[in-house]
Amino acid sequence: MPELERHSFDVLVIGAGGAGLRAAIEAREHGMRTAVLCKSLFGKAHTVMAEGGIAAAMGNVNSSDSWQVHFRDTMRGGKFLNNWRMAELHAQEAPQRVWELETYGALFDRTKDGRISQRNFGGHEYPRLAHVGDRTGLELIRTLQQKIVSLQQEDFKEFGNYEERLRVFQEFTVTDLVKDGDRIAGAFGYWRESGRFVLFEAPAVILATGGIGKSFKVTSNSWEYTGDGHALALRAGASLINMEFIQFHPTGMVWPPSVKGILVTESVRGDGGVLRNSDGKRFMFDYIPEVFKDKYADNEEEGDRWYTDQANNRRPPELLPRDEVARAINSEVKAGRGSPHGGVFLDVSTRLPAEEIRKRLPSMHHQFKELADVDITAQPMEVGPTCHYVMGGVEVDPDTGSSSVAGLYAAGEVSGGMHGSNRLGGNSLSDLLVFGRRAGAGAAEYVRALDQRPAVSEDTVTEARATALKPFQQEGGENPYTLHMELQQSMNDLVGIIRRQAEMEEALQRLEKLKERAQSLTVEGHQQFNPGWHLALDLRNMLLVSECVAKAALLRTESRGGHTRDDHPSMDAEWRRKLLVCNVDENGVSVEEKPQIPIRSDLLDLFDRAELEKYLTAEELS
Amino acid sequence: MTATAETTAGSRGSQPPVPDGAVTVTVKIRRFNPEFDDEPRWDSFDIPALPSDRVLNLLHYIKWYVDGTLTFRRSCAHGICGSDAMRINGVNRLACKVLLKDLLQTGDKQTTITIEPIKGLPVNKDLLVDMEPFFEAFRAVKPYLVTYGNEPTRERIQSVADRERFDDTTKCILCACCTTSCPVYWTEGSYFGPAAIVNAHRFIFDSRDEGAEERLDILNDIDGVWRCRTTFNCTDACPRGIQVTKAIQEVKRALLFKRV
Repeated sequence: MPELERHSFDVLVIGAGGAGLRAAIEAREHGMRTAVLCKSLFGKAHTVMAEGGIAAAMGNVNSSDSWQVHFRDTMRGGKFLNNWRMAELHAQEAPQRVWELETYGALFDRTKDGRISQRNFGGHEYPRLAHVGDRTGLELIRTLQQKIVSLQQEDFKEFGNYEERLRVFQEFTVTDLVKDGDRIAGAFGYWRESGRFVLFEAPAVILATGGIGKSFKVTSNSWEYTGDGHALALRAGASLINMEFIQFHPTGMVWPPSVKGILVTESVRGDGGVLRNSDGKRFMFDYIPEVFKDKYADNEEEGDRWYTDQANNRRPPELLPRDEVARAINSEVKAGRGSPHGGVFLDVSTRLPAEEIRKRLPSMHHQFKELADVDITAQPMEVGPTCHYVMGGVEVDPDTGSSSVAGLYAAGEVSGGMHGSNRLGGNSLSDLLVFGRRAGAGAAEYVRALDQRPAVSEDTVTEARATALKPFQQEGGENPYTLHMELQQSMNDLVGIIRRQAEMEEALQRLEKLKERAQSLTVEGHQQFNPGWHLALDLRNMLLVSECVAKAALLRTESRGGHTRDDHPSMDAEWRRKLLVCNVDENGVSVEEKPQIPIRSDLLDLFDRAELEKYLTAEELS
Repeated sequence: MTATAETTAGSRGSQPPVPDGAVTVTVKIRRFNPEFDDEPRWDSFDIPALPSDRVLNLLHYIKWYVDGTLTFRRSCAHGICGSDAMRINGVNRLACKVLLKDLLQTGDKQTTITIEPIKGLPVNKDLLVDMEPFFEAFRAVKPYLVTYGNEPTRERIQSVADRERFDDTTKCILCACCTTSCPVYWTEGSYFGPAAIVNAHRFIFDSRDEGAEERLDILNDIDGVWRCRTTFNCTDACPRGIQVTKAIQEVKRALLFKRV
């Protein structure tokens, strides 16, 4: 057995997206010796795919904006299931985080007077999204990466070592967290390149691993999104909340198969694009829910007039909230009126002159031309819902990001509560910065207050190593890719955008079988950069997290935000008072109800009573 | 695809049905496994593919169904993260942005697509290269905002025109397509290479930055901008359409005239 590589740090950050990098910077600024561990190359994190912008009530474009308005919008977006303290901190601190990013050097589009420009977005009352064209996420990651390079060069000047206080371990996978009794003691993992194992001893670990979309067949998420942090937290004894809430974006590419799931921006519809079924009908007019009837046009003529005269016309139903549009597309396809490749048609070619399309939607024109060989100025696009974001995650203390396990923290998409049952566009990048910073500070305070550092026992290490090597010990087992595809198909078909009791029960049965088969996966070759082995280990996480999603979704007998039950189609105020909490022990995944903490009264006072009546029970309002 | 795949020891399981309109193409990949190989070798795979497939899909097909050990990087899969730069038929491209139909032979000839790792960086395994020398050059040009004095409490003011000045070079995704297409970089690995200069340019021409002189000093070095022979390979290779050679020329001019 080769000798184990060992490192000791004060704070370990797992994940190098926006939340992870911001957390690492904060921990290091608090004097902690900090390490960042990430599966990809440094700077390639999933955050780079965010296009729209960072939501922050700076009021640069409309000075009426304030944190209170942002807070209200966020709670409405999440259908009041949000952790209100997180929504409050987020709305209050997002402007500081954007300004800070600017002082780090981030590029932003500017207003005429040279301040950071802000754009409109769905669900935000005022223009609120700070942005750089359609590459805001890329700029955010690049800026944090540059900041880290500058901190490392400072350390070189001071200590003669670039990595004295902040070191990045890239292309590294963490397979298990290790504990000393009830406390976190570090993490165990391997270099993806060499396959060699490494033990990190650290009293505090911050999870910033992002989402779980790779458990679904059609997703806008990249390969890293295998729910690692969710699963690591569960196995270490922390709880997940809100796992039933998953955001499906209505318009992902469905054709060709090579690009299925890649996002088609909402701006296509905002600029006049319409949805049609195979009969050529603009079907969205058939799907306007009762509560929205007064706000949406019931005929094409009025809907079309809205684009030029918004004051005197109602908006077209293509611009209904994301969940409504996604459900409508799903129904049309199920009714046999879909496009040849199982989506519907999104057409802008008959709506705007070619020149105008190229001007307003350059990236979409480019994307379809390059990836699908479709000229959107001449042909309709084929689109369908795509798994986009998980609202659920590690249950954390809002102020510090601490989980229920001492020394374990979480920030960003892997944490739960902030977005309630549905996230607003633009609120994820701000979430990463606000709670990344808080988790970094929280972990640093925890470490500083410790009398004695935890120790890692040799037994723990032996066990972690054995678990990681298991796929090599077997012969005659299955190809992990086959299993992964079956998992994705099951989650997509049975726990997807529209859910039914019987289908979710079937999903759970299939998951049981997949779990059994996953016990005997076989991988070829050796440990050195072995993609089959990596997937076999990722599958363990995906299966565990998928079970949480299916079990929680089965229990919640209402429809709210990113959880739609065909058999329980309405929202139920009683359910708003309850969170579903997932835990795992030797008997597997259990899900329990837990009451929500009542919203603080001064925050409730920000809303009209009439609006609160839509969400809160009579008892809560009395 | 919900049917349970029949599997036997060592096999890759069942392959998916060949879609209508698929053609058989030969994918010839330059491979290297440091565990067994002294020298790189070529492996060829005949696989079914649609003209609408991207080269990345062909690589996935091989990895998932034919040879699970094939190693390459990829992440976002649509040209933003910059992980899957490789030499495709002799030119540097992102595998997620090249469509098969643009590589197909006309007539009845079977198409062969040649894929190699990007040049000028050590190969770790198959298409995976050691990116460290590339990032080392990136870090050497101080790729971060340099300012002196107190930090403002809100944002710095920057006019729309000042912000436009360096827009092009902020689009860089650090994929290394440009640097590893440069003949100078192939022969003289100590040259910073186009990507590092692009990232220096991004700050030298940023109106908020006060570190231009330090950076220009670095780039005036023997391994700096003067190595550039203006072959325009880098500009052709950039998947983001950055005018790389122009940016290098602007840095040269700033050095000559000591003016940004």
